Amino acid sequence: MAAVLVALLCLLPLVVVLAKALEAGAGEAFSLVWRPRVGELMRNTLSLLALTGVLATVLGVGAAWLVERTAVPWAGLWRVAFVAPLAVPAFVNSFAWSSLVPGFEGLAGAVIVTTLSYFPFVFLPVAALLRSTDPGLEEASRALGNGPWRTFARVGLAQVRPALLGGVLLVLLHLLAEYGALEMLRFPTFTTAILDQFEVAFDSRSGSVLAVVLIGLATLLLTLEVLARGRTRYVAVGSGAARRPTRASLGRALPAALLGLAALAVLALGVPLWSIGTWLGRADQALEPVALGPALRSTLVLGLVAALVTTAATLPAAWLVARSRSRVALLLERVTYLAASLPGVVVALALITLTIGFARPLYQTTTALVVAYVVLFIPLAMVSTRAAIATVRPELADAARALGDGPVRTFVRVQAPLMLRGTLAGTALVFVAVTTELTATLLLAPTGTRTLATAFWDASASLDYAAAAPFAAAMVVLSAPLTWLLLRGGHEEPRP
Amino acid sequence: MRRRTTLIAAAVAAATLGLSACGDGSLEATGDLDGSKLTIYSAQHKNLTQAWGEEFQKETGIDVQIRYGNDSSMGAQIVEEGAGSPADVFLTENSPAMTTVEQAGLLAPVDPATLAQVGDAYVPSSKDWVGIAARATVLVYNPSKIKEADLPASLMDLADPKYAGQWGAAAGGADFQAIVSAVLAQEGEQKTEAWLRALKSNAKIYQNNIATMKAVNAGQSAMGIIYHYYWYRDQALQKSSSGNTKLHYFKNQDPGAFVSLSGGGVLKSSKHAADAQKFLAFVTGPQGQKLLRTTDVKEYAVGKGAASDPALPPLDSLEAPRIDPFTLNGPKVIDLMTKAGLL
Amino acid sequence: MTTLRLEGISASHPRTPVLHDIDLTVASGTTTAVLGPSGCGKTTLLRVVAGFMRPDTGTVRLGDEVVAGPGTWVPPERRGFGYVAQEGNLFPHLDVAANISYGLPRAERRARGRVAELLEVVGLPADLAGRRPDQLSGGQQQRVALARSLARRPGIVLLDEPFSALDPELRVATRDAVAAALRHERATVVLVTHDHAEALSFADQVAVLHDGGLVQVGAPPEVYTAPSDRRSAVSLGEACFLPGVLEDGVVRCALGRLAAPGASGSGPCEVVLRPEQLVLGPVASGIAHGVVTRTEYFGHDALVELRLDGDRAPVLRARITGAPPPVAGDEVSVTVRGDAHLLAAPAAG
Repeated sequence: MAAVLVALLCLLPLVVVLAKALEAGAGEAFSLVWRPRVGELMRNTLSLLALTGVLATVLGVGAAWLVERTAVPWAGLWRVAFVAPLAVPAFVNSFAWSSLVPGFEGLAGAVIVTTLSYFPFVFLPVAALLRSTDPGLEEASRALGNGPWRTFARVGLAQVRPALLGGVLLVLLHLLAEYGALEMLRFPTFTTAILDQFEVAFDSRSGSVLAVVLIGLATLLLTLEVLARGRTRYVAVGSGAARRPTRASLGRALPAALLGLAALAVLALGVPLWSIGTWLGRADQALEPVALGPALRSTLVLGLVAALVTTAATLPAAWLVARSRSRVALLLERVTYLAASLPGVVVALALITLTIGFARPLYQTTTALVVAYVVLFIPLAMVSTRAAIATVRPELADAARALGDGPVRTFVRVQAPLMLRGTLAGTALVFVAVTTELTATLLLAPTGTRTLATAFWDASASLDYAAAAPFAAAMVVLSAPLTWLLLRGGHEEPRP
Repeated sequence: MRRRTTLIAAAVAAATLGLSACGDGSLEATGDLDGSKLTIYSAQHKNLTQAWGEEFQKETGIDVQIRYGNDSSMGAQIVEEGAGSPADVFLTENSPAMTTVEQAGLLAPVDPATLAQVGDAYVPSSKDWVGIAARATVLVYNPSKIKEADLPASLMDLADPKYAGQWGAAAGGADFQAIVSAVLAQEGEQKTEAWLRALKSNAKIYQNNIATMKAVNAGQSAMGIIYHYYWYRDQALQKSSSGNTKLHYFKNQDPGAFVSLSGGGVLKSSKHAADAQKFLAFVTGPQGQKLLRTTDVKEYAVGKGAASDPALPPLDSLEAPRIDPFTLNGPKVIDLMTKAGLL
Repeated sequence: MTTLRLEGISASHPRTPVLHDIDLTVASGTTTAVLGPSGCGKTTLLRVVAGFMRPDTGTVRLGDEVVAGPGTWVPPERRGFGYVAQEGNLFPHLDVAANISYGLPRAERRARGRVAELLEVVGLPADLAGRRPDQLSGGQQQRVALARSLARRPGIVLLDEPFSALDPELRVATRDAVAAALRHERATVVLVTHDHAEALSFADQVAVLHDGGLVQVGAPPEVYTAPSDRRSAVSLGEACFLPGVLEDGVVRCALGRLAAPGASGSGPCEVVLRPEQLVLGPVASGIAHGVVTRTEYFGHDALVELRLDGDRAPVLRARITGAPPPVAGDEVSVTVRGDAHLLAAPAAG
């Protein structure tokens, strides 16, 4: 029941957008969709999805394989290095690159920045799976005459497929909704165009029509992922792999592998950190005075509240999806993904329309803003929470009931502690997302609110890098604990 | 076991902290729900609005809170909010957004005394809002990329194929749309449409005026259309974004010599109408206009007898075209720009 | 020390009926094994008793209290039973001591006396208390699970195939330890299993469940030697079935005339014999003769499959001990030790 309510909440913005687009009438809607500009946006958006999707897959899977399945040294270090980029928001990364490399823009720039920002979404689940799956299948493949490479291609990839697909889906949905990074790199996509529409007309039909096209794209991606996943069951990671996977020796390829990993770490993590550091050093040259305190405080509070509320809202649906394989459960889950592929501004505008029309006291309140965050970021919590719930066997609840605990106490004493780590990882992801959210915050926040992201955006939009750097650094610092949680999250290390 | 307990404790503590912070109102995010403060919706520059707000508060003791945004979206937002808008005062950078709000019937007439503080040229015929500052269109160019003699004589000449790939503009912004509305007012729909199509194929589109100016400074574009004050502000600082560039004024009543009027208006629905009128009077009065000079925003003052920053060429030397700001048509411009594929 | 009474229990999963009309009484302090093949509904029966599942009809009584019945429902946590499942289901985030004391009131949880006592009852060393479940062997996990279920001194303990996940050696040892511990606690026990040897050796009463219905309930020797039908006979071990004709308390079949005490009436009937009732000898002796088709040799005994002479003769299996068993192709004579038991007895008269 609660799951249905949450799904309905997530659907509300979609309904508002559709209604707005329909207002335009079929004829006008058609002429708004069928014009060269939309073709150009479609081309840009699809090229970005394709290129970044492929690159993130190659880098994510390749790095995960090298780190988890070969004898490459310092595996622990690499793991941190390839999860940590999640703590650097894409638009901060974009700022880092374009402030370092003049003329860094367009498709090439967009692909580089988004790949480096988002490949950890692929690396993280694939590495976790590679680390914990039983090597039995791969040994069988070796015994059947396949070399290590062929074995990885034919068996290993098949094993990591669900994790890989989930990761790629996250990357693609993020790309659809990305605004800041792409706007800064002068690479127009549907989302940046919708933002432009909003800038000129606040709530234009044309913007709504573009948003409907975007919803169509997201629906397509979500359906494709379900189809590609097929009947494969979501693998419960860490449910007791009997043996540790064996690590392949790299032989003479070792220096090349090390060089590759180091290059990736430098590009994804070194460049943005160095760039922020450099500008931080010139903070005294800022055109506008930097007031970090209030922005930091409102960001912290908004982030914590929204992260906890989102996690709580995720639980019912995640529970349903993890425990039942029914179509209804799947649909509920997918619905929550859909709204999240919308740019923040679309969700925000829908909530503005709704609050002005039906819930005036909520207009421009923290409550409405938190609701927007929930709608936007619920999938981030969903992925982790679902995996966490899947690792808690239902029989444990029976055991607790038999020992005299009612359902609530059972949840508190058994299920909650077992889910905690995985769920916290999801909570942390939401916290980071809220910390770096821009457009919905600008529109919905109560008058006078300034967050790190909006302050950073103000400064960086006027290309005042020195003034922007402290806010960027603060965002990175706030997001850093995420790396630790994600690395530790969810997966109980099986003991030998 | 212990670590888990610690984690739970930390999470609970964090949640409590967060909620209590929300509850006691120490977070600005809780805003001013009972509406006791004078609420200003401002699309004007942050530091200028803030200076106006702070000085006004000091002068009158009236509490002010400011919501920032940009012209078009904030104008449309006020229209959407309708009679229940939390805004008391609306300040714009350019006049078309103000006209949108005015045409929705949401503005109250401005005190005649306030109107009288400002030159007649800076008051719309409707007298429902008042000019508070002005900005001039300029062509910024990089002499190493294009010789002064080769510069176009008119803004309209930029459509010439010989300038293809040589110039840039922040087409998505309200500033540029105000310039286009001037082109439309002066040259008519057909010419404007053709000019916009040329813009789409000839020009590089930048995020905003500063990005445009920086690109010209770095030689990525030879010329760019911007407002004057971005250049003068950078010149007054380290010149890091404009050191390699010069300004070209089209003058001659060219649409490219358009001077855009920033406006201030009081919302009909304001619950603090008297305070709001006081605020407009303050902004257009000597103290408010002086802040245009002392805050280094480098925008032109419009108050009678108020001096603009001495670094700027006098406003009346720019040979701007004479256009009643009331006639600048925002929605039509957006239609044309959408048609041209710019939006 | 609680009597369990099930009356007219039916239960179903969505759209599939699982149990129908179950009547069963487990006397206080006794052990009942519910025996049946996988999918027969025996785990469902246990879940109904536990309260993890609601029956469609019927009542469940624990002692004097109706815990499930028309208009009555007591949730599992207030039924006061112990429960050990196939996987043990120890809480992975708690150590052994915390697992065992999980069900105790907070004050008792702190005092470790009960934990040590229970570890001793289930035959585990006290120093295991600080270990985590994943550091225990399977047998140890099951014993901890039992200790955990006994901590609250339940009147009744429900065991759901608790030994089936263990390898054979460990299974016997664990079973013995558990049986001893349960005797020590004098609890009423319901054991669900598909292993007939386990059921027969562990329980005071065996209930044979088939396709969701109880086929037979009785003491182990009774249900073994006198199964009520073929399904019951097969559930409890190897069995041979022969057609026969009953006349005056004696049944005539391929193995000659056999005493069938207690059988009345006359006419065609079906005889059931256990393999150990068949005695093989040299061809010269005996009434019936046959040829050995296969021999399975186990060391302590052997199972010999043979076909009697004649057309359409049934295949029999004999369990023999001692001397080296005959091999395929050997001709043997067959005689029957003990009485015959009739399944489908002819109508009286």
